Amino acid sequence: MSERSKIGRRFSELRGEEVVYAIHRQERTFLPARDHCPLDATRPGGPQTEIPFPSFEIAVFDNLFPSFRAPEGAAEVVVYTDDHDASFATLAPERAEALMWVWRHRYAELAARPDIDYVFIFENRGVEVGVTLHHPHGQIYGYPFVPPVAQLELAADRRLGGCAPCALLERELADGERVVHQNDGVVVYVPYAARWAYEAHVVMREHRPSLLDCTPDELRLLAAGLQALVRGYELLFERSFPYVMAVHQAPTTAARPDGHLHVEFYPPLRTADKLKYLAGSEQGAGTFISDTLPEESAAALREAIDRAG
Amino acid sequence: MAGTPGERPGQDERTGEEKPSGDVERTGPIAIARHVKDDGRALILYSRDAQTHT
Repeated sequence: MSERSKIGRRFSELRGEEVVYAIHRQERTFLPARDHCPLDATRPGGPQTEIPFPSFEIAVFDNLFPSFRAPEGAAEVVVYTDDHDASFATLAPERAEALMWVWRHRYAELAARPDIDYVFIFENRGVEVGVTLHHPHGQIYGYPFVPPVAQLELAADRRLGGCAPCALLERELADGERVVHQNDGVVVYVPYAARWAYEAHVVMREHRPSLLDCTPDELRLLAAGLQALVRGYELLFERSFPYVMAVHQAPTTAARPDGHLHVEFYPPLRTADKLKYLAGSEQGAGTFISDTLPEESAAALREAIDRAG
Repeated sequence: MAGTPGERPGQDERTGEEKPSGDVERTGPIAIARHVKDDGRALILYSRDAQTHT
């Protein structure tokens, strides 16, 4: 293994957190021409892509430029469709539901590995959040440690004396002002203390630590709730809407701590043409300064979701 | 060559639902086809059609 392909970790004593070094990622494919997309199916006579088949539904493979790899974690790519121009929002409901089963399967397999303490499923959408390939896809990291955000959620459980997402969901439903969508399986709301202007959380109604604990019907309803939100996002400013989508589930350490499956969205747009930057207060002091009120954002987002139908 | 069937069997340590059914491994209604790419990386194709790419 060459020096530049090694992945290393250093613990930042001052911040109390791990920093991962994967310097080979400097060479990863960056916004290739449309006809050289590595996530397309391999067309007859065309260049071989990451998926050497003429068509596919959903594909998962080990990332060519991983941030983690066995025996200290995993990094996988999840390609939602062979349609280069699609997005999670435009997937047929059946395909979005199938994706939930794929997520569930990957969570189960990675959770079974002793070197993985936390399975993190996510999607970066849009160049505004650093996307390097436009083809609709997400990623999965298997962390060999429990990362800080997951630890914060476990700390919130302890602080609230039980499942924090359950308690917060109850508060949001009682208030109602920030709820933007709901079905029998999930509730979608802009959180009371949202950091991003149009941040939204898609939360399982019932206490489900992970995708493994969901019924088939709940997986379908989760997919429907996620699609309702992202379709609303697309209509909010009548433009392609960037976001980071983060699936939060129970850690997979030997102790099997609890969790509550929910999906958080962090969109960087604060208006149709202005981005929220993480600047002095956010980076230097760790305190978000928001230009919008969650209740006003929720009203606009609820209207957009309703329009999307 | 790329696309040859992988060797890993279906795993199910938590749910009891991911085990192979007949010749086709499944997760819920989705068929799973495992492959190994030229460079040794795993590739898994998921499909509602059990015959696709197996």
